[in-house]
Amino acid sequence: MRKNQRLAIIGGDAAGMSAAVQAKRRNPELDIIVFERGPHTSYSA
Amino acid sequence: MVVTPEEFRDRYGIDARILHEVTEIDLKERRLHVRDLKEGKEHREAFDLLMIATGAVPFCPDVPGSKARGVYGLHSLQSGIRVRDVIDREKPERAVIIGGGYIGLEMAEALIMRGLDVSLVELAAQVMNTLDPDMGSLVSEALMRVGVKLFREESFRSVEVEQDRVQAVVTDRRTLPADIVILGLGVRPNTELAEHAGIALGVRKAIKTNDRMQTNIPGVWAAGDCAESFHLVSRRPVHIALGTIANKQGRVAGINLGGGYATFPGVVGTAVSKICDFEVARTGLQEKEIADLGLDYVAGRIEGMTRASYYPNAGKITVKALAERETGRLLGAQIVGVEGAAKRIDVFATALHAGFDVDEMINLDLSYAPPYSGVWDPVHLAVRRAKAALEEAP
Repeated sequence: MRKNQRLAIIGGDAAGMSAAVQAKRRNPELDIIVFERGPHTSYSA
Repeated sequence: MVVTPEEFRDRYGIDARILHEVTEIDLKERRLHVRDLKEGKEHREAFDLLMIATGAVPFCPDVPGSKARGVYGLHSLQSGIRVRDVIDREKPERAVIIGGGYIGLEMAEALIMRGLDVSLVELAAQVMNTLDPDMGSLVSEALMRVGVKLFREESFRSVEVEQDRVQAVVTDRRTLPADIVILGLGVRPNTELAEHAGIALGVRKAIKTNDRMQTNIPGVWAAGDCAESFHLVSRRPVHIALGTIANKQGRVAGINLGGGYATFPGVVGTAVSKICDFEVARTGLQEKEIADLGLDYVAGRIEGMTRASYYPNAGKITVKALAERETGRLLGAQIVGVEGAAKRIDVFATALHAGFDVDEMINLDLSYAPPYSGVWDPVHLAVRRAKAALEEAP
């Protein structure tokens, strides 16, 4: 079985998390990992 | 809005790791060096696609004492929480804010409302230098009216520190005693990682992208405060660090990363803020930006009312519209006024996207009822004034 494509995102604030959610919605097969150096992540749907 | 990593995992199927710092992007091996800040361990993470959303960091001036305890930059949720905790715990009485931009203005409001004695030091003749000086002076007045001690045309020289605690802010003209110091000198894109990896940077070292948010490296994307935008009025790349833009760019990058097709054509530089009862808004180019482009322009500035003048709670609003002399094309607008003033900027912002000239704006079918405006909205009135200026002999 082919391994899923892996998307790494650096930064878990407005831009990073908006991208993560949109990418996952379009392609649920995408394996998404986000690295945030701070203690919070955020998102505005 | 805060969404926890658990919610991202359960609701969206996204693995979000907080307190994980990427220390290097290795494009050759397609992997990241990641440090777990809690465990203090570093490891490698492979990727096929990479999205850089590293944001911006506050300008921290290299002056004596600026790293002392009690001096804070504001650029993240976490830094805001930290300042609030310090105020709750240590009960500082005197605050000095350096810089009269959006952060300075909003922190002035927050600190005044918490009963602190607030001074604000601004290098320029007026605060809010994204407005023209005549409009900025209205904001300066508003700050003073709510009780902020404003020191204009003063340069920040140092912070006096005793036993690693802030004592005072020193400018070229005076010493201001301080228990807490807020740095509001703007931000710069946080792009050292990208630069080190060889990803192309542009204006103010923001990451260059195309309108799909792709960088110059295949499979590597960027969005938000670390990335450039294209200014639709000046037709030049700009760096504007605002959440409005970050969300839209992130959305576009995400759609493309998920295999869809989306573009982000650009921005017109719209922003709003407030200081207590006074609202501030701007869009497009301001006078100095227009002059820098070598364009000739006219300004139409009016003082009007936020509602029909006879209606209860009608208040003052000042609107300024800027138009190109040769073509009559709208170039920018600024608004200062009481409640109901600021969001009128969105009419101008939309007109800038559409490329309207003053005639098209005068005939805009905007809403009217006495609780909301006169039959001619202040937006119309400012544009009519600009039109009159265009018709005068140059």
